[in-house]
Amino acid sequence: MAQAAVTVVTPGLSSFLKSLKTTPVEPSVEHFISLLKRRQIRNSRPCAIATTALLLRVVGEFKSRDAAKLVERVRDIGRRLTSAQPREVVVGNIVRRVLGLIREVVNDNIDSDTNATNSDLVSSSQPHQDRPHLSSTISSFSPLKHAATEPTNATIHEPLSESTEFSKRPPLSTHPTSAHMGHSLFGLFLHPDTPSVSNTPTGQHSPTGKGSLTPLNLERLADISKSTTMDLKGEVMDGIRELQDELDQSDELIAANALDHIHSNEIILTHTASTSVQKFLLAAARKRKFAVVHVETHPHDHTDTYGMVLTGRKRHGEAVEDEDWKPLIAAGIEVYVIPDSHVFAIMSRVNKVILATHTVLANGGLVAAAGAAMIARAAKEHRTPVVVVSGVYKLSPVYPFDLDELIEYGDAGSVVPFEEGGFVEKVDVENPLYDYVPADLVDLYITNLGGHAPSFLYRIVADHYHADDVTL
Amino acid sequence: MSVATLSSAQASSLSKDTTPTSNEAEVTKGGSAAPPAEAAPKKLSGAELKKQKQAEKQAKRAQAKSAGPNDNPKGGAAKEPQKQQKDTKQPPKEKPALPLRRRPSQATTPTIKETKKESKEPKQGKRQPGLFFGHLYTQPRQHSIVGATKDVHPAVLALGLQYSSYTICGSTARMVAMLLTFKAVIESYTTPPGNSLARHLTSHHLSPQIDYLRSCRPLSISMGNAIRWLKDIIIKIDPATPEEEAKQDLVQDIDDFIRERVTMADQLIATTGSTKIENGDVILTYASSSVVEKTILRAQKKGISFSVIVVDSKPLFEGKQLATKLAHHGVRVKYFLITGASHAIKQASKVFLGAHAMMSNGRLYSRVGTAVVSMLARAQSLPVIVLCESVKFTDRVALDSIVGNEVAPAEELLSEKERVALLPLKPHLPARLTSKLGDADDEGKPATRTSEVLKWIEGSDNLQMLQILYDVTPAEYINMVITEYGSLPPTSVPVVHRSSTDRQ
Repeated sequence: MAQAAVTVVTPGLSSFLKSLKTTPVEPSVEHFISLLKRRQIRNSRPCAIATTALLLRVVGEFKSRDAAKLVERVRDIGRRLTSAQPREVVVGNIVRRVLGLIREVVNDNIDSDTNATNSDLVSSSQPHQDRPHLSSTISSFSPLKHAATEPTNATIHEPLSESTEFSKRPPLSTHPTSAHMGHSLFGLFLHPDTPSVSNTPTGQHSPTGKGSLTPLNLERLADISKSTTMDLKGEVMDGIRELQDELDQSDELIAANALDHIHSNEIILTHTASTSVQKFLLAAARKRKFAVVHVETHPHDHTDTYGMVLTGRKRHGEAVEDEDWKPLIAAGIEVYVIPDSHVFAIMSRVNKVILATHTVLANGGLVAAAGAAMIARAAKEHRTPVVVVSGVYKLSPVYPFDLDELIEYGDAGSVVPFEEGGFVEKVDVENPLYDYVPADLVDLYITNLGGHAPSFLYRIVADHYHADDVTL
Repeated sequence: MSVATLSSAQASSLSKDTTPTSNEAEVTKGGSAAPPAEAAPKKLSGAELKKQKQAEKQAKRAQAKSAGPNDNPKGGAAKEPQKQQKDTKQPPKEKPALPLRRRPSQATTPTIKETKKESKEPKQGKRQPGLFFGHLYTQPRQHSIVGATKDVHPAVLALGLQYSSYTICGSTARMVAMLLTFKAVIESYTTPPGNSLARHLTSHHLSPQIDYLRSCRPLSISMGNAIRWLKDIIIKIDPATPEEEAKQDLVQDIDDFIRERVTMADQLIATTGSTKIENGDVILTYASSSVVEKTILRAQKKGISFSVIVVDSKPLFEGKQLATKLAHHGVRVKYFLITGASHAIKQASKVFLGAHAMMSNGRLYSRVGTAVVSMLARAQSLPVIVLCESVKFTDRVALDSIVGNEVAPAEELLSEKERVALLPLKPHLPARLTSKLGDADDEGKPATRTSEVLKWIEGSDNLQMLQILYDVTPAEYINMVITEYGSLPPTSVPVVHRSSTDRQ
């Protein structure tokens, strides 16, 4: 097939993955950066796949056994990737996940170490171990601050303090990101209750404890990884492979929820071409009969939308596993394609809106293909439930302080072709590619972990990212 | 309105063009319906019997249909306009002859004809089209003058084609064009002996014209209002008036009507509307409205410094014309498609909308997409101002955009360019579909290949494209309606409508 031959040659995800096997790490990073910059790898899933594959190789090639250096290395690559294409938030998400993974691996090893050698110490330290981080749970307002006190965090700090000398403890017991006014005051009040002498107020307030902790923490990581005989690289790589599995399976896991949300004879509205939504609907189509109204998302996604509707895949040549992968219409579901302007007119008869997403933000809002905002708003006006389908990997610890920063603008030529020179010359044509949908317009998120209210997303963020990694 | 009148010579040449194609179509139709009827009588189980009966019925129906146009010229034509339209919904072959307002590329694909003929056959009676819009698909749109009765005036024939091809589009433009054409129709009218003009003109001379226009595109609210008004003044003509004088009076009345209800009204609305535009404003408008355009230009002439955002949508892209005109007059214009509407609305400070009609319950019936824009404006607390002449007010009420609406052919949704973009999908199509369509020659001209894309969609069992033309905007999204009578809240529409119709 001539077309297939062409697509293999064009740089993209598949060509990158292929070249990754043979090229050394540093050129691969450069290659990926250039692909990101040229938008030859775009959209969340391809970016996530490419990033995990690259990081797997980075970790694989990593020479030293020093965990701190590995963290620094991954973080450095992460910084370069995210600055190459800040709007592909998923790249940053994956880097953060990997960083968290390294910390966890180090931590688990230390845990088992200390458990084996001085288990009595650990058990005796249990009560005071809980204290400080309980207090910070209450006092922190931001979910990200909150994340600092999540169990993952506790395990990374506390065992370290167990294994090292007493003198090093005070700075450690403070939490790096939560060292702000309200927090420390709250800590003051709690001190009389803490059973351990080691948790002195001076420790909490010590100037060295603020800000200087991350490097300190890294230093410690380094010490530990040197001292113990663990297979850091191997375990991290296993973890990354698990991450890859998660990416692979997230759609299926999401789709497993489908029957809980779609009843028979429903009219469902969706937009753009999304593999996750498609699989979700297909899963429901196996058991139930319903109708789908597909908004075509002109001018940037309509080709993909038609492709999805007709063939079940976004674009020719995209690597999709072929087993029983068919379009909805072949599954006996009636599909109606409508232009974007019809959304309000149709909405009064729609039972449910299912949106695909580009990125989900920690406040429960989302960035999705342009048109999503008006669809969600129209649904709200008609009291139609809006369900957002997204893998956890799209969930980002980023808060949308500057919305415009998240929105990418596309080629104006797809709105008005440049052949119409007179028009293009005189009129400002704009083509925003993404919409920000505020959290209050969304009723439900369905991720590979299940269904969540938008207001609960911050907890899932806290579960998946380490507080130290939020700013790369 | 020079576009509105196509010479009759041109029109008749068109009709010559199209007759052979219609014959062709009949032949194929008859052929396809006949075989099952003949093949049936060998063994007769219950189910078979039923099938046979159905086939016969279908054949009969097809025959009746194909017989239609042949009978017509003989007479009794105007009685069954509905039936004739059914079989004249074939190839829009005459399209190329007309100046098309949009997508000339599509019009110049002659091969479309064949593809349609084939694809229509399997579709017949197979499924109810269009989700819950089935009730709107009662009458396919007339794209040709085949089957029009001989009573239809050539100028009206031309006008009808301009309607169905969107060459004349927009409710005011359509109404004005219709009235101007009716002037010619009235002038060419002579009362038959034994009849009075007041009794005969409406029922025998005007109604075939109106029926034909309706078959080309459903009448707009303003057209309905104008027709009602016209019938009213015709019936009031004193039978004693000599025919020539009565006709002159009517023509004069029509001119007055257009001047009063459209030209002057527009001026008044533009004057009032432009006072609402202040320095530094960003006016957002959707699609294209002539009154909005006049208002903006009036404000521009006054020297107010403001800019305009035009939001538009496929497939008509009416806003493009508006944006071009405004930019030409030196207005700063930004252009968005409706997918970017939520971004456009953030930059705007006021929203001006045109109307197709104002309903008596205060709702706005306008180009599809208007409701989305006003909803977003409402969410941003921007004032939404509707500019609307009182001819467009109607007694009718509407709650949603589904009960009363106009459907348009869905293939308009896919422009030539979009079809080309879809071509590479071909090898990935489901096997069932490709086998159904037969292996069309791959190396055809681009035109055949793009029309093939439409076949994919029509051939797919569960897939439909849907296009409606209007939507209804809830009254609570609208802050003000500016008419020639002044500015009012949407709730006052029925009051003004009553007083304006009572006055005549």
